[in-house]
Amino acid sequence: MKRVLEGSDAVAEAVRLAKVEVISAYPITPQTHIVERLAEFCANRTLNARFLRVESEHSALAALIGASSMGVRTFTATSSQGLALMHELLHWTSGARLPVVMAEVNRALAPGWNIWADQTDSLAQRDTGWIQLYCETCQETLDTTLQAFSLAERVNLPVMVMLDAFFLSHTFEPVDVPDQDTVDRFLPPFHPRFAVTPENPCSLSQMAPPNVYMEMRHSIHEAMQQTLDEFAAIEEDFENIFGRCHGALEAVQCEDAEVILVTSGTITSTARQVVEELRFQGEKVGILKIKLFRPFPVSLIRQALRCAQKVAVIDRNFSFGASGIFAQEVRAALYELAERPTIFGYIAGLGGRDVTSDTIEEIYRHTRNHASAEEESIWVGLHEVDHAIGNR
Amino acid sequence: MTRKATKPVSLFISKSHLTTESNKTGSWRFLRPRYHEKTAPCSVACPAAEDISRIELLTTRGLFKEAWETILMENPFPAVCGRICHHPCEKVCNRREFDEAIAIHTIERFLGETAARDSLKPSLERSPARKQKIAIVGAGPGGLAAAYFLARLGYACDVYEVMPEPGGALGWGIPSYRLVVAALKEEIARIAELGVGIHCGKELSEEFLAQAKNSYDAVFLGGAQRHGSRLDIPGEDSISVKDGLAFLQRVKKGDTPTLRGTVAVIGGGNTAVDVARCAVRLGAKALIVLQERLQDMAAFENEVRMALEEGVEILELCRPARIDTANGELLLTLQRMKVVDVDAQGKAHVSPDAGKTEAFRISRVFKALDTEAAEPWMNLPASDKGVLALPNTRLLRTAQGLPVVFGGDLATPVKSVSHAIASGKEAALALDVLFREGSDAILPRLTACTIGDGRSLSMEVYIGGPRSQRSSHVVRYNEINIDYFQFTPRIAQPRLLKEERIRSFAEIDLRISSNLAMQEAGRCFNCGICNQCDNCRLFCPDLAVKREKSPRGRGINYDYCKGCGICVKECPRNAMSLEEEKPE
Repeated sequence: MKRVLEGSDAVAEAVRLAKVEVISAYPITPQTHIVERLAEFCANRTLNARFLRVESEHSALAALIGASSMGVRTFTATSSQGLALMHELLHWTSGARLPVVMAEVNRALAPGWNIWADQTDSLAQRDTGWIQLYCETCQETLDTTLQAFSLAERVNLPVMVMLDAFFLSHTFEPVDVPDQDTVDRFLPPFHPRFAVTPENPCSLSQMAPPNVYMEMRHSIHEAMQQTLDEFAAIEEDFENIFGRCHGALEAVQCEDAEVILVTSGTITSTARQVVEELRFQGEKVGILKIKLFRPFPVSLIRQALRCAQKVAVIDRNFSFGASGIFAQEVRAALYELAERPTIFGYIAGLGGRDVTSDTIEEIYRHTRNHASAEEESIWVGLHEVDHAIGNR
Repeated sequence: MTRKATKPVSLFISKSHLTTESNKTGSWRFLRPRYHEKTAPCSVACPAAEDISRIELLTTRGLFKEAWETILMENPFPAVCGRICHHPCEKVCNRREFDEAIAIHTIERFLGETAARDSLKPSLERSPARKQKIAIVGAGPGGLAAAYFLARLGYACDVYEVMPEPGGALGWGIPSYRLVVAALKEEIARIAELGVGIHCGKELSEEFLAQAKNSYDAVFLGGAQRHGSRLDIPGEDSISVKDGLAFLQRVKKGDTPTLRGTVAVIGGGNTAVDVARCAVRLGAKALIVLQERLQDMAAFENEVRMALEEGVEILELCRPARIDTANGELLLTLQRMKVVDVDAQGKAHVSPDAGKTEAFRISRVFKALDTEAAEPWMNLPASDKGVLALPNTRLLRTAQGLPVVFGGDLATPVKSVSHAIASGKEAALALDVLFREGSDAILPRLTACTIGDGRSLSMEVYIGGPRSQRSSHVVRYNEINIDYFQFTPRIAQPRLLKEERIRSFAEIDLRISSNLAMQEAGRCFNCGICNQCDNCRLFCPDLAVKREKSPRGRGINYDYCKGCGICVKECPRNAMSLEEEKPE
């Protein structure tokens, strides 16, 4: 049924349809709507789950590690500082191979105190062993959350589903909310490959000395590699049942494009308009939207970008002392190609600043008009500031 | 639908089916939690040392008989005390610092009434019969309580009473709007069922005490205070100047004269308040004349508040100077008093404010002054020599060598029903120790039965019941984990409307439903005692708190307890303690 939902609602509907059994979360703007809605579902029995209120995000994830170890489907949601506080247990979740699913609303980290969209919070956690999926629309958010449970449980790795703060979490769009029977066909009950139960007492995650630890890490790496195929299989199933899918990547008019804009999240939607307009003006431009960031789909990216002359990566994030994080990854992915496009890195929209069609057009024109890229990232639309403020 | 066949996903994790029990992590412990029940402040303040936190706990669970028996362990008069005790317990209730005190007296009365309605018979342990016999003079609450506890300790008792009915002031004095006669009779009947002989209408004289040695091994003297002292002012002997206690006695018998005009009641104790409230019910305006300040009045606060509600006026800092009779009316002249000093307890000392007098036209004067012993031989001996002074009693030997205990209003620091009961209990325990172990053992044995840091004695502790295992540490508010409690208003005691109250002698406080009683009891923190909330077990990160078949239902497995102290911290009511582990 089509409904008008904000991105937070779309996540909550997906969690309800996934028949999650244990939810634990700590409120943080702009994620709170998700867990508020879920708390209501639990209270009115629309969802038969235990909702554990805890004193911090660290405890929220710790509680789910316990629940998931017992073989039940689990969910949490957080954002920014909350995700940072979870850091220790992010590693634990993946190391313990627990299929916890998390909605992560991308919000800037403080200070200065800022609650608006910025991807640095989740990208800073890229090495924790979580699968990462970045969404563009409310519909994609609902669909991806459903897929996340299937994916996590198939590869025994936790999955993070990312939404841009406010641009997605608080923006209402028409969303097709599937009925329960259809979802049940796509997502059967969770049958864990291992679980601690009173009938099967065992201890998990105990001491792993040097003779086995490395193999355990390699096993996570292998599972990450297998995730690419598993995700493709899940998308295929999803499309068969629901008639739509979104892809680990989406290439828009890339076949003949001379310049390809690499985007993620809601910036993609604005870029689609700009590309349509530029194409109308005869510009050969396309978009590569990257949804699956971990595992990073290197061969798919090579395939999509190999024919372009220039690539402009737009990052709403930054790794201090280096560059935009998507740009780093794209550069690394293309490095082995004998002939590769010139890669431009742009930083835009940090801390929720609007990335308008003008911003994207400026990026495109800068890329088209420059033969080679600078070493440094290009910060788009920086204002003049008075550096003396801090001295007063 | 078919899924694309994929090869099994790599999954290499650490997992073991070996038990970890061989690793006795309890050896890491340097702090040791233990179940350690403590003392609730209410039970310390209760002169009868009732185990209030346990009474509330049992009430919450609907175990009304058990709750009632818990009162009976320490006090033979639940239905009476639930109505008229001034409940000092509520003044020290830890819950006061959170929202409002538990309505302890309302629950006590509910339990007393429930027992009466369901004709419950208590099952209380009794000691094997002892050979000593005790005579008790006065069937007031002190004497009856002494008989009750002595009977339970195995002694044969005879209670002698001058009046035609037992009960003392509870029977003939307390107006029926506060205490219905039926409630008192049922409680006295239960004492008689223990085999106590109650002999009413007996003339008692000094001779009795001298003769008692022949038939008894000890005597308890309890109360019998009836003659009020004198005002010593001109006109005091007018026919319209009456004794307040005699008036109350007359009214309680059902003789309800119509009063007109304003009656003056001289005095500031509970008798004065009772007289004034009765006078209002009989049609008069009542004016209490108080020598001291209103805040220094001896009467219990709640009684004063109710009297003011009913229209009684209180004139503070006034002393009667003379009473003149003119045309069938009285002219009461009052001397104004002034505060000269306020002592450390906050009580004012007053003296006449020279030249300031005021006269009032009134129809009658009731004297409700300090009472004294009915017979001179009932007075406490003037000298302390050979007298063992206990908080609520005095123990000595007669010239014939017979042990005599002075109790009730003769010896208690506060003249209240619960102090009288306390004196009866104190006398019973003191005599039991005296007969068994001799007089030197009395003080140490009784001190060991004191609740908390107070002066009240517990029968249950004396006979070695479970309560004797508790620590005397009195739980303070800051030792309660208030995270586990929610603000809940105290039950509003249902009462007759003010207009209904002053038209009759019908009981003012109405009974409450069991639901309300359970709800109100559920507000109790249960300070210091385990109510099996299970927090200790649920929070133990090492699963070292185990369910077991003991009265508490759970115990600590010290093989695996690391001494983190979470159980102690999360115990809402301080029923656990964390102590330093002592090397073996």
